[in-house]
Amino acid sequence: MRTDFIKKPLDFPSDDMIHENLAYFGGKAILPADNRKTNFPYITKEDMMQILISIQHDPTKVIDDFTNRYRNYVGSNYAIPTASGTSSLHLALVGAGVQPGDEVLIPNFTFIATAQAVVAAKAIPVFTDIDPDTYCMDVTQVEKLITPKTKVIMPVHVHGLPADLPQLQKICHNYQLKLVEDASHAHSASINNKICGSIGDAAGQSLMADKNFPVGGEGGMAFFKKEEDYMRALEFLSDSGIDYSMSWIAAAFGISQLERLPYYDKIRARNAKFLSDALENTDLFSPPYVPEGYKHSYNMYRIKINPGAKGLDDLEDYKVKEAIQQIIMEEGVFAREWQNRPIPGHLPFQNKKGFGNQYPFCLSNVKRTYKVSDYPKTLNMFRNTLTICRELRSPIEYERIQSYALAFKKIDQNPDKIRRVVEELGDIKRPYEKDARLG
Amino acid sequence: MDNNNNKQFQMSFVLLRVLNSGIIMSIEKNEKEITGLEKILANITTLPYVSVFNSYTGALHGALHGKNIGYGDSVTLSNPTNKEEKFLKWLGISNLKDKETDVFERLSVNWENIGDFDKNFITQSTLVVDLTDLGFGPCAALATDEREVWEKAERLKIFGAFDLRTMWTQEESHPDLQPGIQFNYRISPLVAACTKLSLIKRGVAVEN
Repeated sequence: MRTDFIKKPLDFPSDDMIHENLAYFGGKAILPADNRKTNFPYITKEDMMQILISIQHDPTKVIDDFTNRYRNYVGSNYAIPTASGTSSLHLALVGAGVQPGDEVLIPNFTFIATAQAVVAAKAIPVFTDIDPDTYCMDVTQVEKLITPKTKVIMPVHVHGLPADLPQLQKICHNYQLKLVEDASHAHSASINNKICGSIGDAAGQSLMADKNFPVGGEGGMAFFKKEEDYMRALEFLSDSGIDYSMSWIAAAFGISQLERLPYYDKIRARNAKFLSDALENTDLFSPPYVPEGYKHSYNMYRIKINPGAKGLDDLEDYKVKEAIQQIIMEEGVFAREWQNRPIPGHLPFQNKKGFGNQYPFCLSNVKRTYKVSDYPKTLNMFRNTLTICRELRSPIEYERIQSYALAFKKIDQNPDKIRRVVEELGDIKRPYEKDARLG
Repeated sequence: MDNNNNKQFQMSFVLLRVLNSGIIMSIEKNEKEITGLEKILANITTLPYVSVFNSYTGALHGALHGKNIGYGDSVTLSNPTNKEEKFLKWLGISNLKDKETDVFERLSVNWENIGDFDKNFITQSTLVVDLTDLGFGPCAALATDEREVWEKAERLKIFGAFDLRTMWTQEESHPDLQPGIQFNYRISPLVAACTKLSLIKRGVAVEN
């Protein structure tokens, strides 16, 4: 039987490690090769027991129970459990009143499901660039992109940092638009203690097993502030015949996991703070920016690389990033690209096939070319950032986060070695010139 | 002996076994339950290419997409249910109903017919099987002997077979198979495990 129990304790790392030879060049890795794996979600006896209890009950009751518990936790007025985050976003959009041919503003930097949910709602995605500090939707671009066809603004709380909802709410109010949150990365994230998912007119959220709050496999939740939007979404389900239902098995797992979500959130926040404090003491790396009053859920942790601070600004920044990625992997920290190309540059938006015969893209009078060059801030971010994904999402032990911090500090000590790796790389493609990665 | 055999595969046992494997996410590299369900459906139907979906409408969509039937096109599906009619309408596809042979076969599996449902279909080259009535949650599959139908159906899924294998788009490897609209039609391995067991034990009562 496989166990999640950590069989091999990680030694307390020593600060002296940062002065040792880089593992890339034959030195000892900060994290031993046989002690790098992180587990998530944790599956405990409570989850097992909940499944055994739920299997005795009416499936509808199990799903309703889960939905009500999580809706209360988020603080939303209405909720519809769904089969996935994508379907929850689709429902949130149709609940907000999106009709075929409408335009929905979304950021270009997100998972592809955000944009595909817009197409599923038979609407046209219109992409903004990102704010270079938060990586969320650039609010300053929004008004320029609003047309008479615009119906909804759908920001993404990317990596778990809430988007600038207060500003977006003002814009929505001025133009009579609806605000729909893509809260798929932002479980328990908040602005001034209001939890993401409850702030906009509607929201969609993924609850798949790889998220901060996982159900048993695949699932999602659509949230609504007003009854009329909730009823519109329910009516859509009835009229379209589409089955977006959640399985009771997924819901049962969610019931027991929800009990532990606040604990997991605290550990993640503690670990993120530890790592951020450490990175602040390096020249080469900057931690994620979090505005005052915002609570980041750290579904992912994006680190900015500053080659100039170490005299590496004569090198191409994306090559420095690639070199650091290779070096830190050897130290045992899985820091990587998460997305490498703006979503409008992915094939579904280049091809615009939609549901077939170019629908719904053919409903637009505007010929959108979806050029990646329209998003220079995102392209720049791809050149000089690396992301820690599951490794920090898992509520890891204290000695492990110390090891991660030391790995970055160790690399910070070795700009000449980074230069050497860059020279060895030779000519490589920029991230967004490679095939588009989905995740 | 038979009785003991039945008991060792109770649904609760299966669920706990999968939970203990730690693999409850469909895009996990070493996930085996979904592929296991696809394999048993291939065995039963004798149709080699199977794709599992998290709903009947998802599988129906997959079959239509696999047959290149999209918005503005028409299809022939006889005796459609009210839900099927609504779903086709939502997809923008008109149903010619009984004018020609059905483009693919549809079948619903429940506890009444699970023992011999394979005798009920007439070996169309493509079959859509609804497994939702078994009670584990929405679950359905597309089975076909046309590889291209399967490939196209998989492209309808975000993180379908191609993306899962490569985590890359099809720009280089499948230029003729580029995605349009994509949905998350992925199923939980826990649901797949229970459905798989039910199909393995066809005709034998399965306890909780």
